[in-house]
Amino acid sequence: MNILTIPARNIRRKPAKTLLLLLVFTLGVMSIVTLYQVSLVVGHNFEKKLTAFGANIVISPVRETLNIGYGGFQMGEMLVDFTYLPEEETVAAIRAIGLKDRISAVAPKLVTMARVGAEAVAVVGVRWPEERGIKSYWAAVGRFPEHEGEVLVGSKVSARMGLAEGSKTTLLGREFTVSGTLYETGSDDDTVILMDLTALQQLMDKPGATSFIEVAALCAGCPIEDIVAQLRGQLPGTEVKALQHIVNQRMASVHFIRNLALAVSLVILVTAGAMVGLSMLSAVNERKKDIGILRSLGFGKGQVFAIFCLEAGFIGMLAGLIGYLAGFAASFKVLELLALGEGITPSFSFVQLLAVSLFFGLVTVAAALYPSWKGAGIEPSAALVAL
Amino acid sequence: MLTAKNIVKNYAVDGKVVPVLKGVSLSIAEGEFVSVVGRSGSGKTTLLHVLATLIQPDGGELHFGDHDLRRLPEKKLNILRQADFSVIFQFHHLLPYLTVLENSLLSCMHRMKPVPKEAVERAYHCLGRVGLADKADRLPGNLSGGEQQRVAIARALVKSSKVIFADEPTGSLDKATGEQIMELLAGLHQDGMSLVMVTHEPEYAKLSERTVVIEDGMTKR
Repeated sequence: MNILTIPARNIRRKPAKTLLLLLVFTLGVMSIVTLYQVSLVVGHNFEKKLTAFGANIVISPVRETLNIGYGGFQMGEMLVDFTYLPEEETVAAIRAIGLKDRISAVAPKLVTMARVGAEAVAVVGVRWPEERGIKSYWAAVGRFPEHEGEVLVGSKVSARMGLAEGSKTTLLGREFTVSGTLYETGSDDDTVILMDLTALQQLMDKPGATSFIEVAALCAGCPIEDIVAQLRGQLPGTEVKALQHIVNQRMASVHFIRNLALAVSLVILVTAGAMVGLSMLSAVNERKKDIGILRSLGFGKGQVFAIFCLEAGFIGMLAGLIGYLAGFAASFKVLELLALGEGITPSFSFVQLLAVSLFFGLVTVAAALYPSWKGAGIEPSAALVAL
Repeated sequence: MLTAKNIVKNYAVDGKVVPVLKGVSLSIAEGEFVSVVGRSGSGKTTLLHVLATLIQPDGGELHFGDHDLRRLPEKKLNILRQADFSVIFQFHHLLPYLTVLENSLLSCMHRMKPVPKEAVERAYHCLGRVGLADKADRLPGNLSGGEQQRVAIARALVKSSKVIFADEPTGSLDKATGEQIMELLAGLHQDGMSLVMVTHEPEYAKLSERTVVIEDGMTKR
């Protein structure tokens, strides 16, 4: 028996009223938790889908350039030393960073120049599954290379050199068949010939070499700067650049979903809080007699205030606990009904459960502050005269 | 021990000031049993509330021992109400959601610290004294009016108050039950507690050592 006994027993006094209040608040918490969990999964899913529209981090060897001019003749910026990144080690290092679960795709590339007849053209070696993973918008006349000795030609190269599906062309001394030509993408892919990375490495006699590596990272759970910092730590001697405009575009989309959920949650929270506040206000008026008795027995204003706040806090914490569990379960159903999960499921956390319970306990206490303060301010005589 | 001098108390009714106590003076010695009688509306209950510090007077002096009760800070007044003063109301005023035992221990339940074992044992003893030991776990709603009033007396007993203020303690009870309650109150007085009782019943007033008559907000004798 202590001061907690008083609010705890009073809650049992009117079970129907208490249950109704608990139900309303639990539904509010449940809606908020469901919205939060669904928005997390949808945001994550959405971002993952967006990674199919390009990488947001580029890793390349550190390059030293020199602006060369002599005797009035300008040669422009020239590379002092041309270095390559070892494919296997670099990809392994990328996949080993602390935030490795945020790495969605790693696409290594080797770039060189070649001549097709008299025309110079850039040739890019790629790993087809990874490349197509980050460039799902690609479409080709013909088909994508599936066999050895096949290449894919960019739209501008195709137009300039007259290369079409089924054409034969010689690159770096070896004959290749054009399996397809890319529809115009508006990107650098229009001006290059793409082939299998291993084939190009062999032609250039640079096994395992890559010119740069594109990385698609998920930024919803952490800032891109953290991922870049970890990559820099893992890959000394390389240049790691975040393509901020791509990151910002994606995060704006993901944040829109989160902000929408947050706005709806806020409305629910304020409504539920107002209900608790109103209920406590009517409880104070109903329980003037109790206040009078307690004050006549020497309970201070602070203690009367605490009794009302504890009562509200207890309901809030219980609603938080039940609401979190119900909301967590409901989020599965919502994702299933809307077919939004696609392999990603909400994750349960005991810390979150406790935090939600505590948070909603505090929300109800905040909602009950004014009624409690009003109740505590009633003088014993006034309460007893009202009896 | 408890002294009131020229106590004035007004109420505001429909914007008009209505004087209820017009300079009442009263002194209660340690262990004294004083009854306050008077017609309805004479100001008896208001006087009792002023003496029990449940209401602040608008004028006059109020002392308990060395304490000037009109100037005592709120915290010290609360301690006084917890330890030294007990009020028994006409309609018992128990918290309906607490058991008989919890109601008798209510004045010890104002902290997070659990009520000490000794207090619980004392509560059982006091409930035994008022004949309710076997009903300690019941809720007040399951008791008769007389039993509820006995719980209120047990509540005063548990505190070992110095002064008990009883506001028409038999007012809502039948004659036989009223007599039992008066016996209990007389027992408290015999234990050395001071007792100030407002009553309508002249025969119960006769049990006290002194009777104060309030008439139109003033002491008559």
